[in-house]
Amino acid sequence: MKDKFLINIVPGDTFLHKLSGSTKVRLFVVLLVFITMSFDLRLILPVFVLTLIGVISAKPNWKQVKVIMSVVIFFNLLNIFLFYVANPTVGEYWCNQLTIIGQLNNYFVFPVETFWYLFVRLIKMLTNFMVSLWFITTITPSEFAAGLYSLGVPYKVCTVVSLGFRYIPDIARDYENIKISMQLRGVEMDAKRTKISERLKQMVLILVPLIITSFDRVQTIANGMDLRGYGRNKKRTYYCEHESTNADKIFQFLTLLLFIFSIGYIMGVNIWPPQTNMWCPIDWR
Amino acid sequence: MKQPLIEFKDFTFRYKSQTEATLHDINLTIYEHQKVLILGASGSGKSTLAHCINGLIPFSFEGEIKGSCRVAGIETINASIFDLSKQVGTVLQDSDAQFVGLSVGEDIAFSLENENVLRKEMLTKVLDAATVVGMQDFLAAVPYRLSGGQKQKVSLAGVIHEDVQILLFDEPLASLDPAMGKTAIELIDDLYKLNQKTVLIIEHRLEDVLHRPIDRVILMDEGRIVADTTPDELLVSDLLLTYGIREPLYLSALKHAGCEVLASDGPCDVFTMDLSRFEDKLKAFEDRYVASIDKQFSQKLIEVNDVSFAYDKTKVLKNVSFDIHRGEKIAIIGKNGAGKSTMAKMLCGVIRPDEGQIRINQNDYLQMTIKELGEMIGYVMQNPNQMLVKDIIKDEVGLALKLRKMTDEQIDERVSEVLQICNLHSMRNWPVSAVSYGQRKRITIAAILALKPTVILLDEPTAGQDHRHYTEILSFLKELHETMNLTILFITHDMHLAIEYTDRAIVFADGECIRDDQVFRVLSDPDIIERANLKQTSLYSLAKRIGRTPEALIDQFITLERQGKR
Repeated sequence: MKDKFLINIVPGDTFLHKLSGSTKVRLFVVLLVFITMSFDLRLILPVFVLTLIGVISAKPNWKQVKVIMSVVIFFNLLNIFLFYVANPTVGEYWCNQLTIIGQLNNYFVFPVETFWYLFVRLIKMLTNFMVSLWFITTITPSEFAAGLYSLGVPYKVCTVVSLGFRYIPDIARDYENIKISMQLRGVEMDAKRTKISERLKQMVLILVPLIITSFDRVQTIANGMDLRGYGRNKKRTYYCEHESTNADKIFQFLTLLLFIFSIGYIMGVNIWPPQTNMWCPIDWR
Repeated sequence: MKQPLIEFKDFTFRYKSQTEATLHDINLTIYEHQKVLILGASGSGKSTLAHCINGLIPFSFEGEIKGSCRVAGIETINASIFDLSKQVGTVLQDSDAQFVGLSVGEDIAFSLENENVLRKEMLTKVLDAATVVGMQDFLAAVPYRLSGGQKQKVSLAGVIHEDVQILLFDEPLASLDPAMGKTAIELIDDLYKLNQKTVLIIEHRLEDVLHRPIDRVILMDEGRIVADTTPDELLVSDLLLTYGIREPLYLSALKHAGCEVLASDGPCDVFTMDLSRFEDKLKAFEDRYVASIDKQFSQKLIEVNDVSFAYDKTKVLKNVSFDIHRGEKIAIIGKNGAGKSTMAKMLCGVIRPDEGQIRINQNDYLQMTIKELGEMIGYVMQNPNQMLVKDIIKDEVGLALKLRKMTDEQIDERVSEVLQICNLHSMRNWPVSAVSYGQRKRITIAAILALKPTVILLDEPTAGQDHRHYTEILSFLKELHETMNLTILFITHDMHLAIEYTDRAIVFADGECIRDDQVFRVLSDPDIIERANLKQTSLYSLAKRIGRTPEALIDQFITLERQGKR
């Protein structure tokens, strides 16, 4: 079994890892709202920088992060490019003006506002990614469950999360075993020798015993949990959820401020009066 | 006067899905601070009895109950499983499935979490419980890093902080290697002595449980209690034979030597039983010993030469060399993680050596594909459910042939031939899901035999099976060996299997092949036994007690057992 997943099972020892689950879950939710609510680079950029620092400080497994990061960056660039192709003058809608500085033909014009909008959009998407990455690399599944529970999510839902992570490696091991036994009986898994359609069919063949073995296990797990009183009370506590430290209190306070600010911003800017303008640093006219 | 803790009165239980009752007229009283073994073959109803005590019946398994069952004064039919869980701590057979936490600490805390205990109190309670079972240094460890024995200890720690009165162990030895099993039995005994608890052990491996004293044995068969006695009385009766429980090896040896053991000799412990009456007979028995001749095999089938392999940086196989000849039966022995399974995967071609060579039937193994190797070496996995993919038995057995693009007539012919050999022909159109575990095992073997391999490799073929099924499977394999001249490799923890059915043992420890010799010599070498996490057999102890060399006695015993089997 691989030693290091992107997700930690065991709590790490950096500052962000040591925050309690509920602090991290709250901050994550509020940050997502904060990022989503605006196209204002003055609000987004600080979050981008801070979460970038956060990710670096959490010392994740860079090899895996790099893979994911390059995929995300690639798709975001593609997204931006397609946005431009779909409507090269999209910036007019957001900035109420259009300053064309060149053109390829009548359709593909180069307005500064469109480039600005696309740039902000890219940063916004990357920030979203950084917020998620920061969250994923610093939280354990159990802390996540505890954090969700602290937000009022029923604990049976939370258990699904942590239990799922618990049995992923077991299922992976079953899968590996079944795959081996199929290969030995003559199912060709080599990508070079079989067509994709064939391989998909063979995947289905593996899934049958995998599902059956997993279902066998579910009954035993359920019994084991019943025997230890799971589901007896409406409330439960979490072993991994430590008492708030000073750092937790400060972070929770900041999260609260950010939350209030976001609510205010959404009320004032997004809802009434509805605005579609975005902030531009320079007036290009 | 001891208080009754568990009381069954005219108790009968039938599962909702079955027409026949599983438990019949159970009348049983177990008192405080007793250590009771509930013994019985598979299907004897012993696990059902356990479920009645811990409340899974009727909470999780519906059915019809007649009569009364009181546990710690609670009538279980009215009680919730939660009330009972305060009285009865259950350690399940499958410690992997019972491990729901993402770390040792979390798993031990699980029942406390459910009780809404404050985290501050939880920390000390978890640490205390972990200390009792000796896992206090592993609180942050993840389940995939633990051995089966360690997981079981965690399961145990997870139920003892409730201050339960009764500890219930459901087949605690099933998934452990011999040395771990021994430790588990010792730990259970320590807990029993220390905490004045009542201990119930559900098992069919009598000799291993008797490693530590037992007050009382309840023998079950077909849903009824057939004996309620002391271990000493049980061992000298013919009950074991009648109900398919394996007799301890040392007692079989004494019988071979012509000794008649009585309950007053204290036969439940090989170290303390009174041997004075038998010493002469035993010595005479050993004097008749003629060393068995090493069987000679001429044709080399597999040559493994100086093979090393690593998944990442650490080598899991280090310079391993051995030969396998056509027609041999070999036990591959060693603790978990010693490299046995890696070696098996390598022989099948799933992984290939980093260094060294393997030749199979004079051919270069590296030139052969997995598919070609699959036709030479059949690999039967431990869990048949991981191998079965088709709905109908016939199709399952023919799958490998179909994948090799044989015609339907050829497939039919080969499949019915194999099904006949495996005694499954009458069931050929049955759905795979309708047959028992042992029959599924047979189907997997048939599916492998359909390719007509020269070697079959069985991973723990007897794990979790009682003596009757064990004998059934192994005599079947023995027959195959004789009729088809198969070469059979067993990967196993089971020393009985190695003793009775194999010619040679290859022992692995830490990725090295530390011994390659006849079984009786391996089992007479204390150093090997320790390094491979095996357990001293009771034959060894018996020989030591009469001051003779264990090698001769073990060899003699094996020879006689095999003759007796024929």
